[in-house]
This record gives sequence, structure tokens and C-alpha cells, in this order.
Amino acid sequence: MDKALFEIYQSPQLRNPSLLVAWQTRDVGKLSSKVIHFLNEKLGGQKIAEIKPSGFFLLGGASFKDNLLQVPESKFSACQNQELLTFNSEEPKYEWHKFLSAVLDFAQHYCHIKELYTISGTVSLTAHTTPRRILAVYNQPEFQKALRGYGLEDMTWEGPPAISSYLLWLAKRRDIPGLSLWPEIPFYLAAGEDPAAIKLTLSFLDRRFSLGLDLGELDPDIGNQNEKIAQLRERDTEINEYINRLESGLSLNEEEQLRLARGMYEILEPDS
Amino acid sequence: MGIRLFKEPELEKPDLICGWPGIGNIGLIAVDTLKGVLVAEEFAEIEPWDFFYPEKVSIRDGLLQNLEFPANKFYYQKLERKDLIFFLGEKQPTERERMYATGEKAYQMANLVLDVAEKFGCQRVYTSGACVSPIHHTVKPRVVSVVSSEKLVEEVIRYKNTILISEIGGREGEGVITGLNGLLLAVAKKRGLESICLMGEIPDWLSGSPFPYPKASKSVLEVFADILGIRVDFGFLDKMAAQIEEIVERLYQGFPPEIKERYDERKFIAQAKPRGITEEDAKWIKEHIDEFFKKRGEQGGQGSV
Repeated sequence: MDKALFEIYQSPQLRNPSLLVAWQTRDVGKLSSKVIHFLNEKLGGQKIAEIKPSGFFLLGGASFKDNLLQVPESKFSACQNQELLTFNSEEPKYEWHKFLSAVLDFAQHYCHIKELYTISGTVSLTAHTTPRRILAVYNQPEFQKALRGYGLEDMTWEGPPAISSYLLWLAKRRDIPGLSLWPEIPFYLAAGEDPAAIKLTLSFLDRRFSLGLDLGELDPDIGNQNEKIAQLRERDTEINEYINRLESGLSLNEEEQLRLARGMYEILEPDS
Repeated sequence: MGIRLFKEPELEKPDLICGWPGIGNIGLIAVDTLKGVLVAEEFAEIEPWDFFYPEKVSIRDGLLQNLEFPANKFYYQKLERKDLIFFLGEKQPTERERMYATGEKAYQMANLVLDVAEKFGCQRVYTSGACVSPIHHTVKPRVVSVVSSEKLVEEVIRYKNTILISEIGGREGEGVITGLNGLLLAVAKKRGLESICLMGEIPDWLSGSPFPYPKASKSVLEVFADILGIRVDFGFLDKMAAQIEEIVERLYQGFPPEIKERYDERKFIAQAKPRGITEEDAKWIKEHIDEFFKKRGEQGGQGSV
């Protein structure tokens, strides 16, 4: 492990934790960052280390968004009582292999992880009233077998890889069992938040790691969102018709998808 | 950052012949075809992950099957006249979204390729690419050469249909061979290896086209066949060239008559003296060709998992 790549703040008191990885970049339905934030907050996650940004991120200046300076952060936190190590980061701009190897180096050699879980939302063409599914990708058949019974759905796919798949592949080469969780987010909720998908993901993690989380506090957010959508459907017959079609398993053309996504974003994220 | 050697063939002073993608993929197609004709055997590769991002993931029934990177492979073949090592790179390592290899990564890759070549006793390196020239598309492309020493000048001018870069007009004796097809030769020269670049001519107005230019690859391949004393069946390249020729001809038929007339002068004047079309003509062609390619290239994007 190249220690020069890291700032290490404290030695983790972890024996054999699981690593949970979340990416803030292209965070569909804000699922990834919300799940990790919720876990760290509820389980008392302590920041223990970070990967230094130099060489991985554009450092020619400081970027800002909504008046706030944005600093690339790639931090490890430890939830010691629950044997969880979390890693929360922007996707690096450069040197993915080196960056992802550093993530696994720290997790494997410094924290002795036993398993890897990546968390990223995936855009779905289903309606928000359809029960969400969590699509799953494993890097070892034995691990897949061990996780039967959690209600995850096996994914089949070919195409450009996301950074989570790259990490999963690297973990496979190191013989670290890994699972990528891809909860479905209805496309018209992808730009904002999808509390139902966030709750579903947390409830899987709660069961898997026996965390004893109270997820009831997410229900008002879900109810509130459903209520706003229901009101919009009443007001806007066109949007109502689009959602009706999705609920009946029919598809929308590109223009209709855009109109629905825009209409939804305006009522759900009015401040953005 | 490493090399994976699957096999250690016994080779006697092999020549290294390299091909990377570039304008019209002229060099890559020539070298790949030659490798295929000689049924060269794969024996090593450069680990791709330090140079490239993966391009495809395959997931079946919930299981991650594979992650595919651009390949960078070595092959070898022993011939009566010469032993050969081939290196074929599916992509040039780029930094900061450039099209051709630049910077540290490119330099590292060039050195890794030469490390393997020198390990097997290589003393001469060939790369191949494109030479953008003011030629007519119906004219047989020549092979334009750049070499590492005066001694090699004497040699290459004896090659069939081959000229020195200095014989092409309008360059004042200077120029750059972009990307790894050039950089590798520079690094090889620095290491004391003989280096030769064989570039097939491509008409200037087609240099930005997204399709290959196999007619020039054939010219390069003819030179390699000559050097190596082998017979090559050009059937495949001829077929491919005919298909491209059809597209090029359609584009050419769309030229305004006055431009066509001036451009056609290129058929009859010496290629070394660029003439025939005016700067305005070149601008018109470029704008219209870009538009044509843009239409062909408009395709939807896709997400990633």
C-alpha cells in the first residue's frame, strides 16, 4: 500500500468489516450519498482516512456549485460497532485504476475487509407506484448463493462499465467477495431524490448487517413525495396520462419522457 | 504497470513492426493484415489498466463475467528472411481527452513496447501511419518514409512505390509524426535502434473521415511484402477498398463542378507539387464533408452499469 496516497486520521477499531462504497458523481436519485450519509449519521461513523485528491482530480482551481465551493473528497469512515467501513467519494477524473486500487489497498490491508458492497441507483422506465427492485451484480458465484433470500434481482447487461463495476472487478481479482447494488429509480425521479429507493436499499443493508435501524423516519418523505405527485397528476392531465401509461407497462417517447421528468422536477425540487 | 509474457519464443534479431489506430487506420490495418497473413502467434501483452479505461462490462444472470480493455498485444513469427515481432495497440493512450498519445503515458507505453522488443534482441523498428497529401482519391497512394539515419535513407528509396518525406512539397523539410507511431520511433532512436516509419498517403480532404483508407494500407503492405520477400493475397484489402471507394466517389460527385475541375488536376500533376484546388475549395470541401460525417455519426448515447 502506497501510504503517500492517503491522509490517515485514526486507526480503525475494526476486525473484519464490510466495505460500503458510494459515489457522489452521477448519483441517480441521490441514492448513493443519502444511504451512506444516513448510515454514518445513525451508526456514528467516524472519518478515519481519505485519499488525497492530487493526481486524481482536476486541481487547476476551485469549482463551485450553488454559490458553494466544491472540494473533491474521498473519505473512509468507520462504524465500529457494526463492523462497517464506508467510502464516499466523487468519481476521480483521472487514473481510475490507481484510485480504485488505493480504495481496495486501504480497505484490505489496513482494515481487513471481508466483503465489498457498492451502491448506485440505476434509471428505470417504470412508474413510481411500481414496487422498486434492487438489481444485483456479484463478483463470485458463492457470494451470490450466500445472498439468495434477500429479494435481490440478478442483473444481465453488457455495455460501458460504471466505476462501481470496475471496482467490483478489481475486488474479484483480489478474491474479495463483492456485490453491486443497483436499486431502480424511476427516470422522472432520477434528477432529484427517491426516498422510496433509499429506504429499500437501507432496509436491505439493515437486514444484511443486523443494524437495527429505524427506517420509519423516511416514511414522511416518501408520503410527502407521493402526495405531491398525486396532486400534480390531478392538476396536469398530460402528466397523469404518461404515468398511467407507465403503470400499464407502456412506454413513452423521448419527448414525453422529458416533459414528465421536467414537470416532476419542478414540483419536487422547486429550489434547485 | 507491466508486461505479461505468455511465452518466450527464441528469435534471432527480430524486427519490430507496430501498428496503432490513426488517420484512416492505415498503419493499423496494414500491420494487422500482415500479422494475419503470416499467422503470427500471440506471446505477450501490456497490462492495459494503467493506460486505458475499460470499455465494456459483461454481466450475466447477476454475475460479473468480464471487463474489457483495449488490447495491446505482441505476436511473433519466424520467417526465412527475418524473424518478426508485431505489436498491435487497439487504442493510443491519451491524456486529458486528446486524440493521439501524448505525455507521460505515451512515453511509458513506447518504452514498454521497446523493452519487450529489446529483450528478444530487436535492432530495427517499423511503425506505419498516414501521410496526409494533396492527392486525388483515384491515384494509388505512395508510401512516404521517415527514417532514423542516413544509412536507412539509401535503403528505403529502393523500396517499391516509396518516397522520402522530403519529396512531398509544402513542408520545408519539417513535420511531426503524431502519436505513438511517431513517438515510438523517437524513443527507439534514442535507444540506438534503427527506426523506419512507412506512411500511406491519404487525400487531405479525407483525413478527418471516420472510415478507414485501405487503399493506402495496401500500399504499405506491398512494401512490407517486398522487404520480407513474401507473397500476400490482397483480396480482402481490395474488397474493403472498393467499398470505401464507393463512399468517397459519392462524396466527390457532390462537389460543385468548378471545384471538381480544379481537384481533378491532381490526377495529372506530380503529387510532389501540391496544386489543383484553392484554399476556398478546400474550405468548401471540408465544411461539406464534416457535415456528411456528422450526419453519419449522430447516434444516441447509452448509460453505464
